[in-house]
Amino acid sequence: MESLLQIFGILFLLIIGYLFGNYREKQHFKNIKQREKKVLRLSAASFGGQQVIATKVTETKLVVGSVVISIDYFKMISSMLRNLVGGKVIVYETLLDRSRREAILRMKEQAIEWQAKQILNVRLETVAIGGRFGGRLDPGSVEVIAYGTGVK
Amino acid sequence: MSIKYVPEYVPKDVITEESNPNITRLHPLKNFIYLLIIVVSVSIVIFFALGYAASWLTTKISPENEAQVGRLLYNTVSEAEIIDDRRIYYLDELLHNMLNPGENLRLPLTVHLFDSDDVNAAIMSGGHVLINNSLLREVKSENELAFILAHELGHFQHKDPLKSLGRYLVMASALATVGIGTSSSSDGLSKVVSWTGEMTMLHYNRNQEQQADEYGLERVINHYGHGNYSLDFFNRFQEEDGEYYQISQYFESHPKNQNRIKHLNQLANNNNWKMQGEITSLPKWINCPDMDEMQCE
Repeated sequence: MESLLQIFGILFLLIIGYLFGNYREKQHFKNIKQREKKVLRLSAASFGGQQVIATKVTETKLVVGSVVISIDYFKMISSMLRNLVGGKVIVYETLLDRSRREAILRMKEQAIEWQAKQILNVRLETVAIGGRFGGRLDPGSVEVIAYGTGVK
Repeated sequence: MSIKYVPEYVPKDVITEESNPNITRLHPLKNFIYLLIIVVSVSIVIFFALGYAASWLTTKISPENEAQVGRLLYNTVSEAEIIDDRRIYYLDELLHNMLNPGENLRLPLTVHLFDSDDVNAAIMSGGHVLINNSLLREVKSENELAFILAHELGHFQHKDPLKSLGRYLVMASALATVGIGTSSSSDGLSKVVSWTGEMTMLHYNRNQEQQADEYGLERVINHYGHGNYSLDFFNRFQEEDGEYYQISQYFESHPKNQNRIKHLNQLANNNNWKMQGEITSLPKWINCPDMDEMQCE
């Protein structure tokens, strides 16, 4: 009976995780696409640290965009199963893709507000937060930070 | 001068789902089911193979070693044992009566009686037969008790406790090797593998129980000349089980009582075993061993 309850418990978490996680992911991707069109005119490049820049720069500012997105239970179990057999963890691909894009978007939006002409020397970093050591039922989250130098 | 119509510039999606190289086009549910099927089927194959190997190996243990394993295991039993009680001698005699004349025991059997509210009887490696005194309160005739004892004797003769022990050890070490831990760890995934393992074990257990049942009924019939009353204990419990048992049946090691009785009756029918006969009553002092028969009423 105890194992029966455990099975139901896990199934419940899986279904909740799948339904909510999937819905939110879809909404997020829709939202990202709309916003990406708006910030398209601002170019962001990963060079600029040591390179000579063509435009004349009068002002610079550090622009940072950061986002933390939680893994859901469905993604967690899927990835654990994947750990046993190896291969691409496709449930995390979408998670990281939207995190990266969201972080870049936030960085660009901040730069546009400041009326930047360009963002140079863009860097991306990813950190895992919580997760296995945070508690048995804590699937963990991922943080992506995008930062660069906004120039005017 | 002609006016040229210039439509408003609408940028395309920067990254479309189809053009995004960072995302694999596969539905997450399909991916999940695919993974689940692979993990479950591989686990089943591994557990079956290991299980068979372990049960085969453990049956090769010498009786001396088995006795030693039994002693070690018996020391872990923490229930309150009743010692120096006339019921133990009675149970011991009844148990040995279930043996066919000339049938050999590889180890001497020891009957242990426990003071417990759990209606249960069990056999451990090394020939330790464990009986709770509440079982003696529940049985209504010697035929019922004899069947239960003969069932445990069947386990002993088939070396079932050893096989289960071997399977359990192999499974625990296999799970520990891949870092999954025992079934009590509650990480979601470890459950998938350990449940599969447990289900596989239950499959073995159900087979063992059925064989022990068949052995038990045969011995009861040999001893009393008939199988009447011997299955009444399970008949009574079947009524009490109710619906909860139906759902959880899959997770139980013992076959459902109803199926058990049906199977045994069929077996008796096929072999022309006599299922009608006189009841043999229990000694009157069975639940008050310290008084003599007159006082016990």
